[in-house]
Amino acid sequence: MAKKIMVVDDDRDIVDYLVTLFKDSGYETCSAHDGDQALKMLETERPDLVTLDLEMPKEWGPRFYRKMTQMPEFKETPVIVISGLSGIHLAIKKAVATINKPFDPAQVLGIVKDTIG
Amino acid sequence: MGTKLLLVDDEDGIRTFLGISLADLGYEVLTAADGRQALEIFAAQRPPIVLTDIKMPGMDGIALLRRIKEQSPDTEVVMISGHADMDLAIKSLKFQAADFVTKPINNEVLEMALARVQEKIAMRAELRRHTENLERLVEEKSQRIVQLERQAAVGQVVESLSGAIRDIAGDIEDSAATLSDLPCFISIHNQYMEVVSTNALYRARLGEMTGRGSWEAYADVEPRDCPVGRTFRSGAGQRMEASVRTVLGERVPVLVHTAPIRGGDGEVELVLEITADLTAISRLQEELRATRAQYQLLFDEAPCFISVQDRQFRITAANRLFKEHFGSPGEGVRCHAVYAHRDEPCDKCPVARTFETGQSHQWETVVTSRTGKPYNVLLWTAPIRDASGAITEVMEMATDITQLRELQDHLASLGLMIGSMSHGIKGMLTALDGGVYRVESGFRNDDPGRVESGWATVKDMVSRIRSMVLQMLHYAKHRELNWAATDLGAFFESVARLVEPKAQKGGVAFVRSLPPGDLGSFEADATMLSAALVNLLENAVDACQDDTAKPRHAVTFGVRADETALTFTVADNGTGIDRETRERMFTLFFSSKGCKGTGLGLFVSDKTIRQHGGAISVDSEPGQGSTFTIRLPRVLPESAKTCSEGS
Repeated sequence: MAKKIMVVDDDRDIVDYLVTLFKDSGYETCSAHDGDQALKMLETERPDLVTLDLEMPKEWGPRFYRKMTQMPEFKETPVIVISGLSGIHLAIKKAVATINKPFDPAQVLGIVKDTIG
Repeated sequence: MGTKLLLVDDEDGIRTFLGISLADLGYEVLTAADGRQALEIFAAQRPPIVLTDIKMPGMDGIALLRRIKEQSPDTEVVMISGHADMDLAIKSLKFQAADFVTKPINNEVLEMALARVQEKIAMRAELRRHTENLERLVEEKSQRIVQLERQAAVGQVVESLSGAIRDIAGDIEDSAATLSDLPCFISIHNQYMEVVSTNALYRARLGEMTGRGSWEAYADVEPRDCPVGRTFRSGAGQRMEASVRTVLGERVPVLVHTAPIRGGDGEVELVLEITADLTAISRLQEELRATRAQYQLLFDEAPCFISVQDRQFRITAANRLFKEHFGSPGEGVRCHAVYAHRDEPCDKCPVARTFETGQSHQWETVVTSRTGKPYNVLLWTAPIRDASGAITEVMEMATDITQLRELQDHLASLGLMIGSMSHGIKGMLTALDGGVYRVESGFRNDDPGRVESGWATVKDMVSRIRSMVLQMLHYAKHRELNWAATDLGAFFESVARLVEPKAQKGGVAFVRSLPPGDLGSFEADATMLSAALVNLLENAVDACQDDTAKPRHAVTFGVRADETALTFTVADNGTGIDRETRERMFTLFFSSKGCKGTGLGLFVSDKTIRQHGGAISVDSEPGQGSTFTIRLPRVLPESAKTCSEGS
């Protein structure tokens, strides 16, 4: 069964971009526009990996991450941070990778493949 | 040990991580998990710098900032904000936050912010030191003047002393011992015009004259014209100026007083002569004059506005700089009338507080000169006391710190600009990549739907990046008006045509409202002004499209003109604007459009209209729609033509 990636970003154009990119590589996807919505979707969508923007209305990235990892079944869910903020490598220390916008799609896909196959 | 810094954040991780970074920068870091704890630590440790998160449960960062600033205005508070809290961060600047840094925190940005804060603290300390020096100098000089005046008064004392001594001499047989201690030349003469007794100073300066003629101490005075001789002849006390010869042969100008001392039969038996050395007095007077002149010079040339006020805040003296900027205060004119153009004293008047407490007080405020120019000033007061120590007046010194404040504001907006722009541009570039990707993959997979949606994104992003770059250029560089006489009717139509297609495409009716006939011409930079109006009209179309409550929407673009002025109106029946947004909409980087807006549009439009000598006003009700009214003169003000406004 295909692995599922949750894309969390408040910019719809960027969500569309990442969703298309992942679908073209054979992944299933779901998306949320802020941390709050993403938290509510976790139970039903049960993603294998999350790409996370930092700056969003309602629960910014790090707070979403903290709340997600407090839920036992998502404690180990890998997260890739994709953000336009500079100097963010420490924002979520346990992220699989922290990628700056604008990003190289091949790099993102490579990290996803290395993480969840 | 480094400077104390209090770090307040409700997240453990941030306290730990930031705490380590700050300790590495050399700070002695105190931490608090919430506002209440922060206030306790602040009260006990008084750190000069506080770094606080804005969003915290209980007391938030803004409330903490206000409490700290109330208790200690000199403490510098740097706010930490999420990008989503940018409006709060800007609000915090109003409450005297020194700066803010955005989460997640970049060490270099934080280090720069703290360096600025340190510099500000150092600058203020220096300013205070200067002011205190000046205050001390003025106090020293004032004391010196008091001292000199006392010395000058001694001359007058001598006069009344002669009366007292006459009485004493009458009562006491041997008065010589008393006379020896007096601070002027005192001698007693008998009716043979012989000196019978002198005091010690007399003997020291004029020599041993006892037994010699009363006139011999004087230079060039005939016996019958000497003061003692005149006293015997007239029977009345004399007062005259003369010169005496000292033992060293010097000729010394003196003021002589004589008093007749009568015997039991009423005849003048003795004459008391008191002679004051005028050289000492004239030297003292000269010194007094010089000191007064110096004091006046200091008062006038001090690089601040100085005024002296009585208990009713009436200005009794003002220095040159004050008069230059605020006019010569007439008699009875009050400080608040001159500085603030108000009828009542200011709430936090430091002069009133100095009258109450006898201490110096400090207050930062804005005053307005007679030409209407506002100055940011730091006020410093000092009590002026009379001889009994009661405060009679208060001196107020106002240092102009306008440039300091402007610099600070400019730095703050520059920091804001760099932070907010780079992030916005990165987002747009990523979305542009997304559009290009979908166009390419759409072509590859022969999926016209994907090509179309990707292409729409590409066009949208290109237009947004383009407008952002243009607006940035506008902000970054002040553009001079490239003005020309412009036909109003044609200009109106050209602007309308630029916006009409967008409105129609979005299902919004576009209505023109203008009077018939020739509207004449006006002076304007048509390109800049057109861009400003297009920005307002496009906002109006957006406001209509965002509104789902009404079935039909329209944007009305109107113009009216009279001989000297013209008025454009941009009205819509869209979402409307709430009061808070109305108050802030013309500030830099304010946007109500989320990631769609740059926060520059209205700021630039407002700037353009003001550059044309015009003004923009807004009338709006949430849910009802908005009307923007732009008033412009037909003829540009001279200042706009020569372009004196700074960038």
